[in-house]
Amino acid sequence: MRRFFADWKGVLYNTAFFLNGLLVFFLVFEDRLVTPGWMYLVGRFHPLVLHFPLVVLLLFAGWVIVVEKPGSNRWHAGLADTLLLTGTLTAAVAALSGFVLSQEDGYEADAIFFHKWLGIGVSLGSLAWYAIPVRRTPWNFSAKAVAVVFILVTMAAGHLGGNLTHGNDFLIPAAGEKARVALEDAQVYRDLVQPVLQQKCYPCHNADKAKGGLQMHTRELLAKGGENGIPWDTTQADLGLLLRRVHLPANDKKHMPPRGKAQLTEDEVVLLTAWIKSGSGFDGKVSELPRESPLYSYAQAVLRTGSAEDMYAFKAADASRVAALNTNYRIVKPLAPESPALVVNFYNRAAFKNSDISDLLPVGDQVISMDLSKMPVGDEDLKTIARFSRLRKLLLNFTDIKGNTLSELKKLPFLKELALSGTAVTATHLKTLEEIPSLRDVYLWSTPLSADEFAHLKKSKKIRYESGFRSDTVVIALNAPTVENQEQILTGGTRIRLSHRIPGAEIRYNLDGTVPDSAVSAVYSGPIAISQNTKLVARAFRAGWLGSAPVERFFIKANYRADSVHLISPPDAKFKGKGGKTLSDGIRSITLPNSGDWLGYRDTDFQSDLFFRKPVKVSSVTLSMLQNLNRFIFPPARLEVWGGANPDSLALLKVIRPAMPKKMVPGNEDFLLEAGFEPRLLGCIRVIAKPVGKLPAWHPKKGEKGWVFVDEVIIN
Amino acid sequence: MEKPVFDFAMNSTRRHFLSRLSLGLGSAALGSLLVPDIFGKGGDEGGSGLIPGQPHFAPKAKRVIYLFQNGAPSQFELFDHKPLLNKMFGQDLPESVRGGQRLTGMTANQKNFPLAGSIFNFARYGASGAEISELLPYTSRIVDDICIIKSMHTDAINHDPALTFFQTGAQVGNRPSMGSWLSYGLGSENQNLPGFCVLLSRGLGNGQGVYSKLWTNGFLDSVHQGVQFSSGENPVLYLGDPEGMDRAERRRMLDKLAALNQGTYDEFGDPEIMAKIQQYEMAYRMQTAVPEVADMSKEPESVVKMYGPDCLVPGTYAANCLLARKLSEQGVRFVQLYHQGWDGHAALPKEIRGQCLDVDQASAALVTDLKQRGLLDETLVIWGGEFGRTNYCQGAFTQDNYGRDHHPRAFTIWMAGGGVKPGLVYGETDDFGYNIVSNPVHVHDLHATILNQLGLDHEKLTFKHQGRRYRLTDVSGKLVKGIIA
Repeated sequence: MRRFFADWKGVLYNTAFFLNGLLVFFLVFEDRLVTPGWMYLVGRFHPLVLHFPLVVLLLFAGWVIVVEKPGSNRWHAGLADTLLLTGTLTAAVAALSGFVLSQEDGYEADAIFFHKWLGIGVSLGSLAWYAIPVRRTPWNFSAKAVAVVFILVTMAAGHLGGNLTHGNDFLIPAAGEKARVALEDAQVYRDLVQPVLQQKCYPCHNADKAKGGLQMHTRELLAKGGENGIPWDTTQADLGLLLRRVHLPANDKKHMPPRGKAQLTEDEVVLLTAWIKSGSGFDGKVSELPRESPLYSYAQAVLRTGSAEDMYAFKAADASRVAALNTNYRIVKPLAPESPALVVNFYNRAAFKNSDISDLLPVGDQVISMDLSKMPVGDEDLKTIARFSRLRKLLLNFTDIKGNTLSELKKLPFLKELALSGTAVTATHLKTLEEIPSLRDVYLWSTPLSADEFAHLKKSKKIRYESGFRSDTVVIALNAPTVENQEQILTGGTRIRLSHRIPGAEIRYNLDGTVPDSAVSAVYSGPIAISQNTKLVARAFRAGWLGSAPVERFFIKANYRADSVHLISPPDAKFKGKGGKTLSDGIRSITLPNSGDWLGYRDTDFQSDLFFRKPVKVSSVTLSMLQNLNRFIFPPARLEVWGGANPDSLALLKVIRPAMPKKMVPGNEDFLLEAGFEPRLLGCIRVIAKPVGKLPAWHPKKGEKGWVFVDEVIIN
Repeated sequence: MEKPVFDFAMNSTRRHFLSRLSLGLGSAALGSLLVPDIFGKGGDEGGSGLIPGQPHFAPKAKRVIYLFQNGAPSQFELFDHKPLLNKMFGQDLPESVRGGQRLTGMTANQKNFPLAGSIFNFARYGASGAEISELLPYTSRIVDDICIIKSMHTDAINHDPALTFFQTGAQVGNRPSMGSWLSYGLGSENQNLPGFCVLLSRGLGNGQGVYSKLWTNGFLDSVHQGVQFSSGENPVLYLGDPEGMDRAERRRMLDKLAALNQGTYDEFGDPEIMAKIQQYEMAYRMQTAVPEVADMSKEPESVVKMYGPDCLVPGTYAANCLLARKLSEQGVRFVQLYHQGWDGHAALPKEIRGQCLDVDQASAALVTDLKQRGLLDETLVIWGGEFGRTNYCQGAFTQDNYGRDHHPRAFTIWMAGGGVKPGLVYGETDDFGYNIVSNPVHVHDLHATILNQLGLDHEKLTFKHQGRRYRLTDVSGKLVKGIIA
């Protein structure tokens, strides 16, 4: 007995064992495998290596079949042993390299499935054959039977491998070349469903072999079904037998296609489901399908003509060179990882130099898209740009292009999209674009082209010219002017300020509450002073536009603003506003109780002192208040105004008992409550407002306490 | 003759067994070099082959502008025309339609659920014949450029969780926002602007809050956080140099600061320090880039007419749409707009009219504007709210006034550009508009599709945090193949 490493056969055997071990390992962890680049080289040797085991192993198997007894004239045990051993080793190398090759993209998983497993079977089988004793008695019938099986498996593996490289019909050519169907002419059954059934179902359900009594190869027989019934039933939730069997777990005995056979892909299941749902018709056309239908999406994916222009079959540029071309203002990136195509964007007009384009020429063969919008690119730069021969998309919006050199772009055979919006190109220059072979879309918004010129351009059958939004015929309304004042209570010399964002817009206003027009109303030329409570209405006008909607604002004139405010009673915790200063900020809150700008009182009276550093002559005190009867917010039951030089010397100046609402009025409403009195000099004013103690009888919550809401005390 | 067999068996000693075993182990060891994660290592942040900053495959869209209609616009007044609701105006929603599905606390105690048909008229527009309400005259002109999805549905029934779910793929807070995921997955296009910008505006309708948690980077690096632009004259605050400091001075200051930060980084290795250095550098470049983008004064009158005159008033939705286009054009990966005020629980007809006036013209203009610059094919525009509204009335009910409660089971959004099929109406609801009858699209599905359009496999865009790999689509999400061109 030889020692394992003592002779060359031992070395070969051990190597074969090792390689098979590696192979099994890879298989177990196949979906987690990350193949490094150099490994692919091993894969590429597969076509070279595979022929050795094929020949050698077949020779050995042939020997096993014909050999009689030890010592016969066909007895060459030593040679046979060498054959099997070399076969085993080369089979392992072939299987391993084949496995690596299968990791590369571009092989259909279905097509490769059986070839892979048969190849691995041959490798492991030959190792086993070499290792186990049966080979020692090749004259036995069992050994010969094994040899026959082995020959069949090896040939099958070889044949499937041949199919992979040369196509299915290499050995037995199909009856006629099957032409690719255009999407418009395709039929749902014939071109989408049938090919799937043919590939995945026909092998067991045909005229010769009708498993379960089901034959699927003609429309009638398919619709008829097999011994288990018709294949589909749209009245059932699972749509009947066929899909039920498809959806069974993969290891279920009744799962279709059965274990070990090529399975339906997820897309194919979606296809069959949608087809059965749609009534499993045999004559429908793809073009008649609604475009959101999964059938249509499937058709698009399967029948889409493999457009060569989107395949970037050129060499990638050196990655470090690409990286070096990136700056803060020029981004050069591959379209996707592994893609040789480069996409270039430029930013920041101020930083742009014309050499920024020519610097890219070293990777000029890889650039497929360039966005130079808003860069100071001129006509002479088009000569440089025309050297990027693989450009598909070129954006030159709002550049300084005039169009004189557009004919340079004829050198770009792939150019498909060209954006010239916002440039000064003219119709004469554009004629040359028709000669760019691949050009489909040209964007010309905001160019000097007239409507007539566009109408002429749009007759082109080859190119779609996008004219974009044309403003000259559009007349829309201006937006209303802005009232700059936040406060509605104007104290002292505060004036009303108006503004409008659109240059050249004219603001006209009325102070009597009527809507201004563009002819007679006052034109705003500077801040407006008011002498009494005023309802301002303003509008904006401009040539080429409709006048704006009116903006209305009610301004209240106040002679004085309190220097400080002291809230004697704290407001309810939910409606604290901004404390005392709420009352003298000049801003009326929006009419929502929870706007956060209202002071609300229910269990206590509203009581506040307003102080003036220097006494002022006061003749009225006005409260700005809120009413929302649904939410129990009522006018106060009683309003008292006290006044004096300081809080210790106050006299009652006025008491008001406001009229109460007589019925439910929905919604929020603000109102003013004024208490007038003889003018007098005051340093301190105290205001007291009592909430309604019991809501009136008509209110759904009659008898409960009411609220008062205050946000401003106006002093005149 | 049996002897060789016997010999073989006898000579297979333990030594042979062990040496064979060692060969087996050897092959496993060599093999393990090619299976990097077999021994539990390799759990780096990228996982499954992601190189941060690069798409997984060739993208259709490069950028996203998300026009979020916060508060949930009513699909019944805008896109999902249901004449049956008008026919059954005021009748109770049949229990068989609702099937006991949950309601919000706001209407759960309502005694009846009177059906309310839209008081606004619908017509068919464009080659696709999509039905659009009279409230959206501008949108109706671009129907052949947009894809209307009538079969959106979501898990959440209240604003905050629903909004958070839409933005981050989870109802609880602090997961990275969609824009942050994209910034992480694809990197920034323009190094001088943030990759993820947020613009806010509000209408006069009943509003719901938006919070910075919606544009958070979550557990991702903080350079991926959304940058909120303010609505004033200076969209990015504190960007200008203070008085007395020129740009050269600023540069020197930043260089010194970077050196200090670098020193600290070398000592502690905290990646947040690197993020800080990068942010200072970007802010320096933003000092020139932002004023250029935010300057509306050079926009021609045709642009003003297209977006509507409000686009020159900072802080309006129209101004934000225009700014979004300018940012996107400058390579900002994700621009997120929020327009508040769509929460029409009461007085919906009045409120929705105002909201539509705010958004209709500018939304349509954005699509048109991108199209006429040749940018629509590489920019994905999405318009929609966080859920839909009920087909029955909430609160006071009259012929011309009603409110609608939240409805997460079926609502409408639209998408445009970015490799989405134009001129398509996708999905369908039942005659009551209550449930989806065909092609449902879940929020996770929408996320998966958006990522797909940007060249990202939603199952591979992961980040390992606290021992788990997170995805925007969590453990769900299926591509909506029917809307992909």
